[in-house]
Amino acid sequence: MNCEKYQDLLSDFVDGSLPQSDYDRIETHLSVCGPCAEARNDLEAIVGFCREHRGEYDAVPNERALWLRISNTLESELSVPSPASIPPGAGWWFRLMNRSWELSFPQLAAAVTAIIIVVSVVTTVGLRRFTFSAADSGVQTSGAPLALNGSSVQDRFRQQQQVVAYWNQRVELNKARWNPQMRETFDRNMSVIDAAVNDSMSRLTQNPHDEVTEEILNAALNDKVELLKEFADL
Amino acid sequence: MKIHPLATAYRMRNSAAILAFLVTLGVSPGALAQQKVSRHFPAGKTVRLELKNLSGTITVETWAREEIKITATMETPTARFNPRQTDVGLVIDVVSDNRGRNDVGDINFKVQVPARSSVDLETRRGQITVSNIQGDLVRAHISTEGNIELSGINAARVFASNTIGDIYFDGEFATGGTYEFKSGRGVITLRLPANCGFRLVATAPAEKISMGQFWHKGMKLLGDGRRIIGDVGDGRASVTVTNYQGNINFLRR
Repeated sequence: MNCEKYQDLLSDFVDGSLPQSDYDRIETHLSVCGPCAEARNDLEAIVGFCREHRGEYDAVPNERALWLRISNTLESELSVPSPASIPPGAGWWFRLMNRSWELSFPQLAAAVTAIIIVVSVVTTVGLRRFTFSAADSGVQTSGAPLALNGSSVQDRFRQQQQVVAYWNQRVELNKARWNPQMRETFDRNMSVIDAAVNDSMSRLTQNPHDEVTEEILNAALNDKVELLKEFADL
Repeated sequence: MKIHPLATAYRMRNSAAILAFLVTLGVSPGALAQQKVSRHFPAGKTVRLELKNLSGTITVETWAREEIKITATMETPTARFNPRQTDVGLVIDVVSDNRGRNDVGDINFKVQVPARSSVDLETRRGQITVSNIQGDLVRAHISTEGNIELSGINAARVFASNTIGDIYFDGEFATGGTYEFKSGRGVITLRLPANCGFRLVATAPAEKISMGQFWHKGMKLLGDGRRIIGDVGDGRASVTVTNYQGNINFLRR
């Protein structure tokens, strides 16, 4: 029998509830083992104190419940592995999952700030991509002018023509309902804008870097879309 | 068929009398089919009027009363208009009010507002005339054809545009104000006081921009003379004038 086994029996030894043979064996061991003898002395002191002061304290209302709570607390503390219990060769996932995440206030604030910045950047980039893709799709719903930089005049013209085709289709659907005077007025005015577009295109063929003509073309194309949109409502 | 000469003569005489009566009153038979409606709305000293017409003239004048008076003359009795009062003023949207109706004809509006009003006017076709507005905004937009006449205007923002038709502006430019005039084919005329100050960007076909007495050597000609840019006076108002085919004229008062 080793010291651990002897110490398990010490409580019964002090109470005098052990069989004589066990009692003799423990007593023999205590006479030669200093640590176990010391444990016996501590236990006798505790038991003696309790016996002397018996009846001086009120009993706990529900001893069993109290003990269960203490027992549960002890078990839960024992089940959480401490950092020291992580074996040296454990993988990163094991370390991550068994790590205690206790953060100070500055650490927490820094983490929240970092999350906000990342989310803002992602949102901004996403919105820009969405805006560009909407412009590229050719269906321009607002009267905002086309961007002058980043694409050739021909590209912009082609894009704008797609928008014009879309609104033109809608106008044609409603045109039959207009009176003849309104139809004539619309066609006459559209021809004025078309003349400005054609004139600008012709000038740009001769001088592709003429900024004034580019702006006129841009304005005329946007005017054409606006006119179509306004008449698509009728 | 038996025609009684006396009865025929009697009917002819009656018709002539009715016609003479109408002519005396100055009312043509066509005018009898028109419908005229007037409405009054309360307004503060500053008010915003938003009017979107389909076809017909819009005339806006100021008066000393703190109320808005709308007089609409409708060519056909089927036309509808339903003014809506908002927190800041009055909204009339003839386009929405008559959506789905085949032909509502012209509706001619005459509107009287307090001088400190802002007006935002649109029509698909027809003339727009605005006089003596001293509010924040004057906007006159004709989708197709019709003249725009803005006189006695002293507003911080003025926008006038049409496709075919003349644009005439007689007023003042406020410091820091924005003024834009645009036509497809028509004459744009700006009549301004001698001491006015603005930064100009004027674009029109070559040799069709006349700066008159506002011209000075500091102005630049761009794009083979199709654009003039430069400051007049203190240059504190922003003025943009664009004409695809017509002339641009500056006149000094």
